[in-house]
Amino acid sequence: MAPDVSCFLLALLCSASFKVITSLDQMCIEKEANKTYNCENLGLREIPDTLPNTTEILEFSFNFLPTIQIRTFSRLLNLTFLDLTRCQINWIHENTFQSHCQLSTLVLTGNPLIFMAETALNGPKTLKHLFLIQTGISDLKFIPVHNLENLESLYLGSNQISSIKFPKDFPARNLKVLDFQNNAIHYLSREDMNSLEQATNLSLNFNSNDIKGIEPGAFNSTVFQSLNFGGAFNLSVIFSGLQNSTTQSLWLGSFEDTNDQDISSSMLQGLCEMSVESINLQKHYFSDFTSATFQCFTRLQELDLTAAHLKGLPPGIEGMNLLKKLVLNVNNFDQLCQIHAANFPSLTHLYIKGNRKRLHLGAGCLEKLENLQKLDLSHNDIEASDCCNLQLKNLSHLQSLNLSYNEPLGLQSQAFKECPRLEILDLAFTQLRVNAPRSPFQNLHFLKVLNLSHCFLDTSNQALLAGLPDLRHLDFRGNHFQDGTIPKTNLLQTVGSLEILILSSCDLLSIDRQALHSLGKMSHVDLSHNSLTCDSIDSLSHLKGLYLNLAANSIRIIPPRLLPVLSQQSTINLSQNPLDCTCSNVRFLTWYKENLQKLEGSEGTVCANPPSLRGVKLSDVELSCGMTATGIFFLIVFLFLLIILLIFVARYLLRWRYQHI
Amino acid sequence: MKAFTAVLLIWTLTSPGSSGDGRREAWPTHLACREGGLEVLYQSCDPLQDFGFSMDQCSKQLKSNLNIRFGIILREDIKELFLDVALTAKGSSILNFSYPVCEEDQPKFSFCGRRKGEQIYFAGPVNNPGIDIPKGEYQVLLELYTGSHATVACANATIISF
Repeated sequence: MAPDVSCFLLALLCSASFKVITSLDQMCIEKEANKTYNCENLGLREIPDTLPNTTEILEFSFNFLPTIQIRTFSRLLNLTFLDLTRCQINWIHENTFQSHCQLSTLVLTGNPLIFMAETALNGPKTLKHLFLIQTGISDLKFIPVHNLENLESLYLGSNQISSIKFPKDFPARNLKVLDFQNNAIHYLSREDMNSLEQATNLSLNFNSNDIKGIEPGAFNSTVFQSLNFGGAFNLSVIFSGLQNSTTQSLWLGSFEDTNDQDISSSMLQGLCEMSVESINLQKHYFSDFTSATFQCFTRLQELDLTAAHLKGLPPGIEGMNLLKKLVLNVNNFDQLCQIHAANFPSLTHLYIKGNRKRLHLGAGCLEKLENLQKLDLSHNDIEASDCCNLQLKNLSHLQSLNLSYNEPLGLQSQAFKECPRLEILDLAFTQLRVNAPRSPFQNLHFLKVLNLSHCFLDTSNQALLAGLPDLRHLDFRGNHFQDGTIPKTNLLQTVGSLEILILSSCDLLSIDRQALHSLGKMSHVDLSHNSLTCDSIDSLSHLKGLYLNLAANSIRIIPPRLLPVLSQQSTINLSQNPLDCTCSNVRFLTWYKENLQKLEGSEGTVCANPPSLRGVKLSDVELSCGMTATGIFFLIVFLFLLIILLIFVARYLLRWRYQHI
Repeated sequence: MKAFTAVLLIWTLTSPGSSGDGRREAWPTHLACREGGLEVLYQSCDPLQDFGFSMDQCSKQLKSNLNIRFGIILREDIKELFLDVALTAKGSSILNFSYPVCEEDQPKFSFCGRRKGEQIYFAGPVNNPGIDIPKGEYQVLLELYTGSHATVACANATIISF
């Protein structure tokens, strides 16, 4: 009987009562309290009563509102953004938005509009963005012109528009973006363009319209921000039509699914008659490709020849001294020297990524590009046993170099001596062969960002990161440490100026308490996707105000002595850890609830133990590990009985002793 | 008593609506093509919507640069669009790859840049390599998603070569 009673008492004393709070299922998702709501895909026929009057941003797409009128949104007076995409709207009646003074963006994409009342858009003081994509519009007079004075962007894509002639009273003064993508516009006349006369620095998009003719002089002396004629069949038509126009950027690319004529050098003559800063000719075929092709490119600052089936660029192009940016991605070069870089002496940005063949860097192919600041050579299957001084010869102004996603590179000490001004170096997913104790990045005094993720590095080389006095951001994810441990002396000790350190997916089991001691400036530490336990938190005790990511590790219990270390950080992510929700972890659980504002990823921060609480969010667990009232009552009764028992025993013993004297 | 518990358990598991999450029925399985010893079936695995797909010719010796037809309503902007393909046979994985369809610096197709809510119909070449399909049954999971990993389309396909 006695053991039974004590077990019962013990159970009572230690009983942990828990309660799971589940929030009520709301129809709309609250993204920002009282301000932003998402009610997409709910099949709603009206604005739900649960939405507060203060709602400013409302995503209401894929619902059912055949008619919208003055009453429909009348309660939500503070709306600034309203998305009504595909709500099967047929009618927009008069004064629908009359009281919505602050509405600035209205999205009506994909609604089968039958009619918009003359005053349908009246009300908003600054309606800036209007989306009328695929609403069946065939005539621009369909759009009510009242109250469009402040309009900055108008999207009219995927309609049946054949003429861009706006009604006379259409206010285009503030218009910056006018999008006619995928319509049936075949001809642009002077009269059409005159209706846009008031607009300055306009971006006009005619992508996927089959433009067959432009009246000469239609674009005369007008200044555009950008013009897009993507997918046009015949570029000569475009060039001759754009005579005497001025535009910042001209997009003339082609697509996999469009047919177009090959570009000949004579076709490009039209460029001499216009002023363009940046041109894109992606996916075109060139019928002849000589230095004459570039005759009219002399004023160009940016040229994009992505996937233009090029095997090389011709040598001896003259006069392209203004070109600053050249994009040659997804072409068929064998050798880097085939681009004849000397043609473009002023180049500051060069992109050659995703070459269709293995690219050989050769020696000194870019040495004439003294002003080059940014070079992207990623995704090229580049392989080199001794990189990169010969290959990058004379690039003394280079600030950003991308060699990611290539084949193995062998790096010696001071591998980037030719580019001493590098600030950003990206080597992700390129295997690096560095023999200890070489320091390949030595003397990169200005390097701030270094991406070495998945580089298969030998992390036992203590000198690997030597000579980087200004390094702020190191991405080291996916590299492996011996025995899964970062020891007391390690390669991170030479980079004391580090602010951002990413060590995720490194198969780490532990970090020595002293391992990060020399890194005092860190503000962001990502240790996610390892197998760390709470002991590794010790290594962060000298750091304050961190963004600390410990997601997807093996943390179960966090003992009270480590809570101050967590408390001194600003944001912590502990999601996807096998966290313990029993009384042995109660101090941490209490701390968690008190510091919810510091915690990120609370949706995924769930209990793994005990089984009854598996999958329950930590913030919903209520654990009481102290004594309950019943427990205290029984304890008192138990003690009382014990005292009585003791008194009886004592009396019995005393009596026994007296009897035997 | 035990029997009663068992009955109760079975009843709760099988009774309609017991799952509580209100999942609708699965989308129907469609036939993309059946010809030349090849059969291609697919089913949308996007809970929100179905889509239409067909191939203009199909045979065990799959030709390069196939023409397809594809119709869908976009639930996201597709300035950036990626395709993930996972091929399995008899439960073991054969091939996984990811392919960029639309990127900001390289919109490969004319539909790149279309917006949420637009209805898209694409009939054209897809730039695939030619391949001989060995006899057998294959499961293919295809996912189209945006730069922010929002689903645009999802398909469970079965390819039977006989």
